[in-house]
Amino acid sequence: MTHLRYGVRTFLLELVMVAAGIAFLFPVYALITLSLKSGRQIASAPLSPPTSPTMANFSRAWSAAGLGSALLNSTMITVASLVCLIALGAFAAYFLARCASRLGFGLYVLFLLGIVLPFQLGMIPLFKLVDQLGLLGTYQGMIVFYTGIQLPFTIFLYTGFIRALPRDYANAALIDGATHLQAFTRVVFPLLRPITGTVLILNAVFIWNDFFTPLLYLGGSARETVPVRVFSFVGQYVSDYGLVFAGLVLAALPILVVFLLLQRYVIRGFASGLKG
Amino acid sequence: MTSRFEPDRRGFLRAAGGLAAVAAMPAALVACGGSSGAGGGGSKTLRLVGVSDQQKALDELTKLYTQAKFTTSYAPTDQVETSLRTQLGAGNAPDVHVVYPGNGSAMSMAQIAQAGLLADLSSQSWTQLIPANFKSAFQVQGKTLIYSAGSSVIGAIYNKKVFQKAGVQPPKTWTELLDVCAKLKKAGVVPIALGAQTAWITQLITYALVPSTVYAKNPQFDSQMQAGSASFAQSGWRDAFTMYLDLQKRGFFNDNPNGTTFEQQTSMVATGKAAMAVQVSAVLPDFRKAASSPDDLGMFPFPGADSADGVWIPAGVVVGLGVSARSRNADAAKAFIEFLGKQENINRWAAAVACIPLHRDASSTIDPVLEPFLPFIEGNKAVPFMDQAWPNAEVQPTHFAVVQELLAGKTTIDKGLAKMDQVYRKKS
Amino acid sequence: MTTRRTARPATTPSPPVKGRRTGFLTPPWWFVAPALLVYAAVVLYPSLSGVMYAFTDWSGIGGKSFNGLANFRALFHDERAVGALKNTLLLTVAIVVVQNGIGLLLALGVHARIRSRTVLRVIFFAPAVVSPVMVAFLWKYVYNPDPHAGLNGLLGAIGLGGLRQDWLGDPSLAVWSVAGMVVWQYAGYSMVIFLAGLEGVPADLHEAAMIDGAGRFQRFRYITWPLLAPALTINVMLSTIGGLKLFDQVYAATGGGPGYASETLSTVLYKQAFVYGKFGYSTAIALVLALFVAAVSLLQIAYLRGREVQA
Repeated sequence: MTHLRYGVRTFLLELVMVAAGIAFLFPVYALITLSLKSGRQIASAPLSPPTSPTMANFSRAWSAAGLGSALLNSTMITVASLVCLIALGAFAAYFLARCASRLGFGLYVLFLLGIVLPFQLGMIPLFKLVDQLGLLGTYQGMIVFYTGIQLPFTIFLYTGFIRALPRDYANAALIDGATHLQAFTRVVFPLLRPITGTVLILNAVFIWNDFFTPLLYLGGSARETVPVRVFSFVGQYVSDYGLVFAGLVLAALPILVVFLLLQRYVIRGFASGLKG
Repeated sequence: MTSRFEPDRRGFLRAAGGLAAVAAMPAALVACGGSSGAGGGGSKTLRLVGVSDQQKALDELTKLYTQAKFTTSYAPTDQVETSLRTQLGAGNAPDVHVVYPGNGSAMSMAQIAQAGLLADLSSQSWTQLIPANFKSAFQVQGKTLIYSAGSSVIGAIYNKKVFQKAGVQPPKTWTELLDVCAKLKKAGVVPIALGAQTAWITQLITYALVPSTVYAKNPQFDSQMQAGSASFAQSGWRDAFTMYLDLQKRGFFNDNPNGTTFEQQTSMVATGKAAMAVQVSAVLPDFRKAASSPDDLGMFPFPGADSADGVWIPAGVVVGLGVSARSRNADAAKAFIEFLGKQENINRWAAAVACIPLHRDASSTIDPVLEPFLPFIEGNKAVPFMDQAWPNAEVQPTHFAVVQELLAGKTTIDKGLAKMDQVYRKKS
Repeated sequence: MTTRRTARPATTPSPPVKGRRTGFLTPPWWFVAPALLVYAAVVLYPSLSGVMYAFTDWSGIGGKSFNGLANFRALFHDERAVGALKNTLLLTVAIVVVQNGIGLLLALGVHARIRSRTVLRVIFFAPAVVSPVMVAFLWKYVYNPDPHAGLNGLLGAIGLGGLRQDWLGDPSLAVWSVAGMVVWQYAGYSMVIFLAGLEGVPADLHEAAMIDGAGRFQRFRYITWPLLAPALTINVMLSTIGGLKLFDQVYAATGGGPGYASETLSTVLYKQAFVYGKFGYSTAIALVLALFVAAVSLLQIAYLRGREVQA
């Protein structure tokens, strides 16, 4: 398919896909429209194009929510958690995918259990643990938490793809005398680029948007993340939605940019792999 | 199995570098993070957790208070409840935290007090100002366990321009109300906007009617319910539900109330598509923000009786604060509450959330649209919001669901009331 | 990927290998140890200690006493839990089928050589980036019952006014409206996983098949589809588990209403724990839900893995 010329069929496909794209663009449109309106405009015509757009929400959200420092906190926590997740997850998944013993399968199932368990089950004991370790209100408490909680998902994604990968490359390296560490970091891991991109972006979305955990563990500290600051505008009775949406636009932008960059990188990696 | 070869340093570091960096981080961060505790100059740092509705008032008041420092955190009601109950359950309560007055919800005073987690505030002087009919919202067995700055009322928020155009005046009795609604409907506007998709909206019309249909006739209703000698089914609650559905039958609500949200309801009244909405006075700022001029909006007591004398209103104590019984800084926390109890600070809080101050002096100001309600409060014709007297946290959500099912025609008044009675009788 | 180059390590050749013939090809256990350690500390240990609450009458705060299996007995007589189970299953089936179907079509579309593919990938994925709570808030406008607003307005504008509905207010429709919202938000998510699978399909396989005269559909059926098996397994499992545990979207969109019409197991267990103050009972529900999801996932894994091997 990749080598087809751009013909009529492709053009028709393009039309259909663009139409679908417009339908999917709605949330971005709605987010931006609402963030550009005052309370009165939101009430009278929430989703129509803004007639007199105001940037007031953005500057207010930025200062009132202290978004500058919150963005730093969110970035620190997300990036560090992703590094841990990919390092720990890829190694573990490689072992689980390649270990044929019953122990290996048992461990795999044990990890998958983590996707299944409702978070409420361990919530109170975990909170006690984090408290006793003195990790409330710290980055590292959150990083360890996200690493642990998202490892099952990460391992699940990696294991599936490693299983479908031919063993020959790594085996050839091992027979040539490489250590397992070398075989993995130099041979296998580069082959995992597409799924690493997926692991990165899907975990990033979860960690970046998570609201409840940072509220519980960081609430009141100087390390509050973007969602915690943004949602403090949502009251039981009175809510400032223009402000909330402006905050959310600012919050969603970094993730969208990361995805844009990442998926280009994944495609380029693929293309160069074909030539090399 | 161990490797048979010396690992390649660079390869290892490239893969595990991030890990190493993170492993090294804790020590570095612990050094610069964390609270300074009781460090500087004897002034303690109090941890305070509130709901978003309290932020405006508390931002102002914590800044004014110089005897302690604060770390504060605010979030929407649901999330604060979840987070606070987790902290309380794990034995790590904030020094000062949000508490709902009376009983009837998971973060209400009576439910937390049952677990022995609220400090006694009775010795503070402001507690002498609590009006007699509000005592049950503040006290358990004579001990005051919650601070609140005042009360808000439920009534009809209406669009004055729409009323003017249809040539109608705020009604004083139920018959007048029906008459006004009929005229508004004829004029082509929705008489009452109802956003029952948002769960807490469902209760407001019942709450507006029940003071007249139940408490005006039988002020002892709550204690009789507790004693088991009264029931929802055999009381004015039946009349209230009948009147609620009568409004629907006559076509006085917008179409599809169960699909309409609070935001849509607000917008309908503010833009004049609808004439009024039964609401808590606390949402006035929302309606004003949505209207072309804040002066377009007024408020009147929603009359639930056929004679003006028989009309009573709901006036609930607004969400307040409690001190954790386990707090290591309990004395400093109580001192802060004492500060909040000073008249000028009650006034400040009340002004920030547009409620009627717990106690008034010459310097107290009241939102002018609330003036029609004051005679009721002063004449002891105001009762707390009903859930504040309910014995467990399940009755209120049941009431929400029953109203939605009634509006959808999925249940009957008999079944709905029976359901509420059954849940009311559940233990704890 | 520069596979060939990196495949030849720079280290010196090794002495002859001892031991079993292929045993040394299995990675060492310490590859998994750090992950296991963190996972045990953050998930396994707390969850195991949490299980205890299922056998108590704990409210979530204050004292508690053990009440044996009373919570579980109550659960099987709880008609709301049964209704919630039914809703949960309906939602899950709808989401798994529709979300993955659309996700696959989108992935195939943006994997083809169309000019807008980079932009479209970002656009399709965009809804998945926004927090579910805010998506639900937006969709309440879309589902506005007003005939001139949101989806109803759109239907009217394109001449389908007869299809107008009270999307969230009609008890028999609310569950499906929530499903629609979830599918819309996560179809792009499925797409990303399918795309990773498609990127792994070697292009030369397609070229060889074209030279052999295979048609578009045949190439999809015999080359692409089998090689998508791991991506499909992942997608089906994730959407199944996501559907069975669905909480944020339902809670923010309908709160389980109107009445109890769109209650799911997760909303029930949340309400029991934090709204009604019945933590013990809620833990019992959580435990049953976990066992149920685990059983379904194991069955799926067994089936889908079998399919992968055949392919």
